[in-house]
Amino acid sequence: MSENVAGRLQQTIAAAIILALGLWVAFVSFSVSDPQPYLFPQLISVAMVGLAALALVRAARGANRTGAGMSLHQLRMIAPAIALMLAYVLIAIPTLGFYTAATLAFFTLYTLFDPSSHQKPSTWLVRIAVTVGFMALIYVVFAMGLRVQTPRGLFI
Amino acid sequence: MEFLYHFGPVFTLSSMAILCAGTIGGLLLGATPGLSPTMAVALLIPFTFHMDPAQGLMLLGAAYTATVAGGAVSAILLKIPGAPANIATALDGYAMARKGEGAKALQLCFISSFIGGVLGVLVLIFLTPVLAQWALSFGPSHLFWIAILGVTIIGSLDSKSVVKGLLAGCIGLWIAMIGYDSIQGVERFIFSEHLEGGVHIIAALIGLFAIPQVIEMLEGGRHKRTFEMVEVKPHSVWKSVGITLGHPRALTIGGIVGVIIGLIPGAGGQIAGLVSYDQARRFSPDREKFGSGQAEGVIAAETANNAMVGPSLVPLLTLSVPGSPTAAVLLGGLLIHGIFPGPNLFVQHPDVAWAFINSLLVGQFLMMIFGLYIAGLAAHVVRIPPAILASGILVLAVFGAYSVQNSQSDVVVMLALGIGMYFLQQYGFSPAPLVLGVILGPIAESNYVQGRIIAQAGDGMFSYFCLGTMNLVLISLVVLSIFYSVATEIRMRRLDSLGEIAT
Repeated sequence: MSENVAGRLQQTIAAAIILALGLWVAFVSFSVSDPQPYLFPQLISVAMVGLAALALVRAARGANRTGAGMSLHQLRMIAPAIALMLAYVLIAIPTLGFYTAATLAFFTLYTLFDPSSHQKPSTWLVRIAVTVGFMALIYVVFAMGLRVQTPRGLFI
Repeated sequence: MEFLYHFGPVFTLSSMAILCAGTIGGLLLGATPGLSPTMAVALLIPFTFHMDPAQGLMLLGAAYTATVAGGAVSAILLKIPGAPANIATALDGYAMARKGEGAKALQLCFISSFIGGVLGVLVLIFLTPVLAQWALSFGPSHLFWIAILGVTIIGSLDSKSVVKGLLAGCIGLWIAMIGYDSIQGVERFIFSEHLEGGVHIIAALIGLFAIPQVIEMLEGGRHKRTFEMVEVKPHSVWKSVGITLGHPRALTIGGIVGVIIGLIPGAGGQIAGLVSYDQARRFSPDREKFGSGQAEGVIAAETANNAMVGPSLVPLLTLSVPGSPTAAVLLGGLLIHGIFPGPNLFVQHPDVAWAFINSLLVGQFLMMIFGLYIAGLAAHVVRIPPAILASGILVLAVFGAYSVQNSQSDVVVMLALGIGMYFLQQYGFSPAPLVLGVILGPIAESNYVQGRIIAQAGDGMFSYFCLGTMNLVLISLVVLSIFYSVATEIRMRRLDSLGEIAT
């Protein structure tokens, strides 16, 4: 598939997803028994469906030139980062606690994307030192300075 | 001259400490490639919760001013603009640095930023009360149209595609409707337990501006960022003051262009810097030397991008229409302190409004002083690896979103919006109109509902919302902002096509 066709297909799919969202908002807004709380959402949904339909037609005709879309290479590069963010927020924070999860997330993300060699012990020492230093700063600012109460998991 | 009575709160020890911290932090954040002023201000908002509103806004204002100026450090030393507003600065600034005039270029940049910044804040001081007084007569229908105008202006001017900009604005308006309806308490669009409290403005701001930048920084994988750092030789500050003042043409052009572009909602510092640079070159007898390290180019660009800061806040403070993405973030900062900018701001909270504006003026002095002396330190900050920056911003974003209401749901919503925004950006959608939709959605809805009640008791919906001089003016501006952007988009497409044919 040529780059142009792939780009057009991607743009069309993106516009179709937003059109589907607009149609769902319109469906919910117009099908309720008491329309009073949905008067403004009704207005928005009409505008959303109209604009998304326009975007879809433009994308299908290849007239949409903004945004380069996603490449497989790009997806492969960012997938570990997104997976780590989701694991950090959805799993690590509730189970381990805010500060422990943050320390692990910082260290893992830094290590995953640090261009320095994984073979040298000095690299690992730098990573540990930077992580500990940064998390100490976060603890001082949020726990001691702003007195933010964070929920505990297994640890703090 | 009411502003003179409100300098007291700015010169207290705690306010000055906050201003200094905001300025130094802003300069360092601005100097770091990949951190936009908008994101820097969004990440700082949670730190303002525990401050009184005036001091919270002082911190945000100082950081905003300093990040714009700080972006020049990496533009000059690395040819990587710290913010879009510094693109024009890199053209001659980097050439100067390569000739061994890095320190001189940095000094010219901070001195001209100061001159432009002061001019911009003076415009803000004298224009804001006049517009606010005039806007006091606005009713619900006008405020409804103003909220819609805010979304259409940012939606159409901040995006390369008008359709996508407006669509992003609509998505933002819809996101603002999620949660419980504020009038009847009816559940709307809650499809996850995390959405029961609605989408908090700050969680949305942090997610939409910070998370996409984190992911973008990591797109290169374990790629090592290499810099060609230039050597910075010492240069006399006083000589630089003389050189700057010796270029009145560049200062004047930069000041005028910055003020005018700042007043146009949605235009932004990038356009101010580039237009000013272009005009300075056009009127210069040494125009052929531009691009090869001409001090005039740096002065014109930096005067303009800082002169833009003050005027860009005029529509925000008087009409609650943010003139730039960073102003939209400042609007979020105001709202979480219970302060609604607009016609009544100077009636209900004159102390907060004037203390904020005055702090911007004082902030210009601090920005110049710290800029001149910590530019060398900022040169080291620009070398922080993206992996550390991205990890740090992620953790800060999570703690910032959580600290708003001590709610884990805010963190989940922040991350979901951020990841979604990253993908939307790949398809040409911009976060600014979406954020503005989230911020202005409740304002537009409450005025729409109020207006509807008034209209039903009076002459009807069409008459109340669409007739009358002010309604017609505002509707015309909404239509004009869309048509102007459509025309610009068509013109740009034609130019692109001509370029493709030529190549």
